[in-house]
Amino acid sequence: MKTAEVPYAADAELSLSFDELQVLRTQYEKELAQSHVTTQTKFNYAWGLVKSPIREHQVEGVQLLADIYRSEPKRRRECLYYLALGHYKMGNFDEARSFNSRLLEREPTNLQAQSLDSLIDTALKREGYVGMAIAGGAAAVGTLLLAGLIRRATRK
Amino acid sequence: MTPKMMAHAQTVSARPRAVGVSSTRPTLDFATIGRTPLRLGLGARRTTSRELQVVEAASELLAAPLPDVSPDEEVGMPSLLRGFEATVPSADSARVRRRATRNVDAPRLGLKRLSLGARGLLAEPAADEAESEEDVVVVTRERGRRGRKKRGRESLSANKVFGREELERQTREIARDKENLHVRRSLLHNDITEITSKIAALDAIRARLEEDLFKLQEDELELDDELLMVQERLELETSQNGPSGSRHASLMASSRRRKGPAFLPSEHDELPPGVAFMSLECGSTPITSLDFSEPYGTLVTASQEDAHPRVWDLLTGEEVGRLRGHVGTIKALQVEAHLCATGATDGAVRLWDLRRVDGDVEASEWDLSDVLEEAEEDGESGGSVVVDRPHSGPNGTVRASRASEEADDDDDDAPGACVRVLEGHSKGVTALYFENDTLVTGASDKTLRQWDLTTGQCVMTMDILWAISHPSTLPAGHMPGFPVAGATAAAGAFAVPTPPYADGSWELYQDFIGAVQSWEYALVSGSGDGAVRMWDMRTGQAHRTLLGHTGPVTCLQFDEIHVVSGSLDKSVRIWDLRTGGIFETVKYDHGVTALQFDSRKIVSAAGENGVKIYNRTSMQHSTLTTNGHTRPVEKLRYMDRYLLSGGRDATVKIWAL
Repeated sequence: MKTAEVPYAADAELSLSFDELQVLRTQYEKELAQSHVTTQTKFNYAWGLVKSPIREHQVEGVQLLADIYRSEPKRRRECLYYLALGHYKMGNFDEARSFNSRLLEREPTNLQAQSLDSLIDTALKREGYVGMAIAGGAAAVGTLLLAGLIRRATRK
Repeated sequence: MTPKMMAHAQTVSARPRAVGVSSTRPTLDFATIGRTPLRLGLGARRTTSRELQVVEAASELLAAPLPDVSPDEEVGMPSLLRGFEATVPSADSARVRRRATRNVDAPRLGLKRLSLGARGLLAEPAADEAESEEDVVVVTRERGRRGRKKRGRESLSANKVFGREELERQTREIARDKENLHVRRSLLHNDITEITSKIAALDAIRARLEEDLFKLQEDELELDDELLMVQERLELETSQNGPSGSRHASLMASSRRRKGPAFLPSEHDELPPGVAFMSLECGSTPITSLDFSEPYGTLVTASQEDAHPRVWDLLTGEEVGRLRGHVGTIKALQVEAHLCATGATDGAVRLWDLRRVDGDVEASEWDLSDVLEEAEEDGESGGSVVVDRPHSGPNGTVRASRASEEADDDDDDAPGACVRVLEGHSKGVTALYFENDTLVTGASDKTLRQWDLTTGQCVMTMDILWAISHPSTLPAGHMPGFPVAGATAAAGAFAVPTPPYADGSWELYQDFIGAVQSWEYALVSGSGDGAVRMWDMRTGQAHRTLLGHTGPVTCLQFDEIHVVSGSLDKSVRIWDLRTGGIFETVKYDHGVTALQFDSRKIVSAAGENGVKIYNRTSMQHSTLTTNGHTRPVEKLRYMDRYLLSGGRDATVKIWAL
């Protein structure tokens, strides 16, 4: 089975200019008005939205990608990757991980999927460290408070 | 960590409005804790319902299956990203850039002003001057200087040099643009195929809905017929309570023209439709005629080479007797309740009482005294009859009994089935129809006779030859196949070879009058010249002739609106009774020998082994063949959902419709 042609994750960070996005949006809405939206138009608009740095856009983009996933079984493999990428950008690492692993089950040799996988891992680890730091900080503050209380109690 | 710390950490993370922590994963790990600073408001973010939707949808999407795409489909389908690159607006930028490189810095020609002037609009001088300052190189056209003059006449591309790299880059860009074009074309192809298949699916749905519509129309017609039938019965039963409700009349009134539901045993509903569930063997020669009184009642069949029609009980499927009296083949036969009329090639018409055919014990006793060897009937005594019973006695001989009686329709001491003999035709009787007390017959002497059954006298004789030579309306002369209709009719014998049946056999068709039907004083006849004539029996004249068939008419039926006739020209025509115009012509593959119709269908015997049914609402043909005949079907008759067909294989098959 051929592996899907998908962009590396870094491509998602490059956003389109406002005008370009506007053109894609107009195209999409025009087809909506004719009540027949081609998959390509939808994808173009969704991909443009996902690339943008504004979170609302990303959310909308992921929604459109989910639509494509539901309605076009032939495009599902590619959509898996894009959905993973979208969720990764939004910060939903668990969903990103589940989509990506589903894709990797199908195409273990997909380079982009593998690189996305490692990116998600790194991100999760980073959060883990931050979490540990917070937990540690919270623990420290907690012990200090306890110590203070106990001392006060024993003093009195 | 102590439980207290865990609880503390939990409240820390639970306090801000966290998304999805509780819903999807009950586990608590460092990663979720690490997310809290983000959620606490690095960026003053609000979770929207959309985000929630998106996350919740994720799990549902994962459940959906991933189909495998076949290799050739994959080739035809460019990836989404490739399509993106081909269709995004910036895809065109390379082309625009190349075009820009070919823009030559030419002297200010004032093209815009020229074009505006050509259109008759005023140019704005201010704009012109402002632009001129931004011009790159202004080459003045001074005729004086030779060098400049030369320059002005050179082509625009003369001094432009691109350079090798630029040109190579342009080639690559062009190649890429062409690929983009291919991608876009294949995208459009895919879309078009998708739309086509959607249209095909919708068309299929529409066809199915139209079929359903047809079925509803059929049901409506059936209900109309049922209504008529019920109303008739209502009148009947209310009149029976009156003084003169004679059973005889009541049965007559509704039987032949009865279109509505008949009385059937409840088991009939369980029979599979379109399958012959009973077969009766009637001798060895093709069946020439059949009729029955009611479903599961009494059936009378007549075969070629056999002058004695058989009487059957349809409940048991057994022969109960024979009608002895005729000398020639029975060509026409009709059964109404317990009365049966037969016409044969000996030119006589006999009326039989079918109740007397049933072998009773009493009937067998009188034959002890007049037992004789088997004797045929001699035609000259008024109404003698021999009732023959198929069950042989203990000594193996067939008991025969003969009783002579007066031609009388009252019950006599001497039982006999034949009630009356009507003689008058000079040649064989080929068609007959009776209703109430009027009987109409058609014979090969090319006349139609009307008889009164109470007296047994012929009331009127109608000569077809006379009608042909004195047409009431001038025929339009549009019969290509029968220009000499009158001549052939006038000739002595009428004989037309039938078109071959499905099994290749054919015979000589000699019945000049193929079918008759009457109602009150209206009579319709179908004859060998292909004409369907409508007669008024009060005057004896044919007031209308329906021309259209190119072969002898073998069968016909009419009701209040239509006349349906079938002929050896392989067609069945539906005429308008009032105007004489043709509603429809139904074509078959072989000559039609028998038909019957109602508002929804025409059932016909068209020279094949199967019984043909034509659905009038949906205009579809169908054939009954399951457990059917092995040789072409010749005659048929149905009542409601009970159909009988007789064929050249000498069997009668009974079908549930």
